[in-house]
Amino acid sequence: MTRVKVLLAIASVAMAVGLWFALTAPADTLQGDFTRIINIHAPSMWLAFLAFGLTALGSAMWLIRKQSRWDRLAQASAELGVMFTAIGLFTGMVWGQAVWGRAWDWGDARLATTAVMFFVYLGYLALRGATLDPTVRAQRSAILGVIAVVQVPLVYFSVNLFRTLHQTQSIRLDGITMPREMSIAILVNVVAFTILYAALMLARIDLAKAEERVAAESALAGDAVKPPRLSEVKDV
Amino acid sequence: MSFWSQTLEIARVDLTVERRLGDTMRIVLPFAVVAMLVFPLTLGVDLTAVSRLGPAVFWAIGVLFGMQVALRQAAHDDHERRDLYALLGVDPAARFAGRTISGAVLMAAFLAVLLVAMIVFYSPRLPDGWPGPVVLSAILVAVGLTELGTLAGEVTAGLHNRTALASLIVAPLALPLVIGSSQTLEALARDAGILPWILVLVATDLALAVAGVGLARPLEEASR
Repeated sequence: MTRVKVLLAIASVAMAVGLWFALTAPADTLQGDFTRIINIHAPSMWLAFLAFGLTALGSAMWLIRKQSRWDRLAQASAELGVMFTAIGLFTGMVWGQAVWGRAWDWGDARLATTAVMFFVYLGYLALRGATLDPTVRAQRSAILGVIAVVQVPLVYFSVNLFRTLHQTQSIRLDGITMPREMSIAILVNVVAFTILYAALMLARIDLAKAEERVAAESALAGDAVKPPRLSEVKDV
Repeated sequence: MSFWSQTLEIARVDLTVERRLGDTMRIVLPFAVVAMLVFPLTLGVDLTAVSRLGPAVFWAIGVLFGMQVALRQAAHDDHERRDLYALLGVDPAARFAGRTISGAVLMAAFLAVLLVAMIVFYSPRLPDGWPGPVVLSAILVAVGLTELGTLAGEVTAGLHNRTALASLIVAPLALPLVIGSSQTLEALARDAGILPWILVLVATDLALAVAGVGLARPLEEASR
């Protein structure tokens, strides 16, 4: 738990610094102070992409190695990814209401594809919740985790693939298309949110380990006797 | 038996089961047609709106009820049948491919009847030369939905809330199919090229086929 507490303390300081940068960066000429929402919105969506990428990595590694730590990584990352997607969607809608005049616009492909990604991973979490056997749960959710990750590039490139209201990427390999102070504020917040994500990930993984221990200790005597699975006996 | 012999045999068995049970054509299809009747009733006597909505309603109902067709197919695959296939040494990838072929045939028949119902009930103004692109996109949607339904059916096998859960998994992932199919007709009406939307459907089908075949063995382990 110590490492989680240390990371949470660092995340708190980093987020306070990020908040200071967000509030002191110059406001946009047209959007005014509403532009500061981007300091929560952009880091949240970056973390959603990272989280779902790690879910896919954990899922693929589970399918290859069959080690429970990869399943714990996938689970923890998916839960945090859904949380950050929800924050990203909500802040985007608040900004849209202020700037576009409506929270939801069907002309915005990024908004629609993000909502779809959110529901795909809600389905992933629902599948995990519905499957009681830990091995079967890990196997099934790993398969879905590998398939579901196609949503991430679809959301990211939706602004390039479709005609959409959402602006294209502001921070690109060939340069940054926004004022320096604004981009610094966003980058500081990205770092702060990423530290928070790491702390929450470790805490959730620790919790998953504790859940596994409790499940193992509370097993009934009869649970020890199980019929052999066909996959174990078919080669005999 | 070769891979393709196994695939075709599984597709044949699936279609035989469906012919005997008649779930798709006797239950899901009439339900879908009733749903199609509900929309004009809620719109009142605005015939222009009904006519304009026709194609959109066709794709929406086609995909939503098509999911039920795909999941019904997967539901026939009970534990005993899976074990039998495993003991017979059937390639899991052939099982996936066979299921996809039989499901796609059923779904194509389902969409064909639904299309006729839409034309009769909604009298839509369809652009010239619509039959070819609509049939092509319907076939691609049928294949994609079946692949998705088979994948979702496998990962939810044996769960008590399987129907709702599998639908939750399939619905958002089916969105590229909905967009591709509906935009094909839109593009035709605007005299724009339909190729990009057909390519979206083909790419989705191919990606799902690769996922289904590549993950066939883990899927088989997961569903038992």
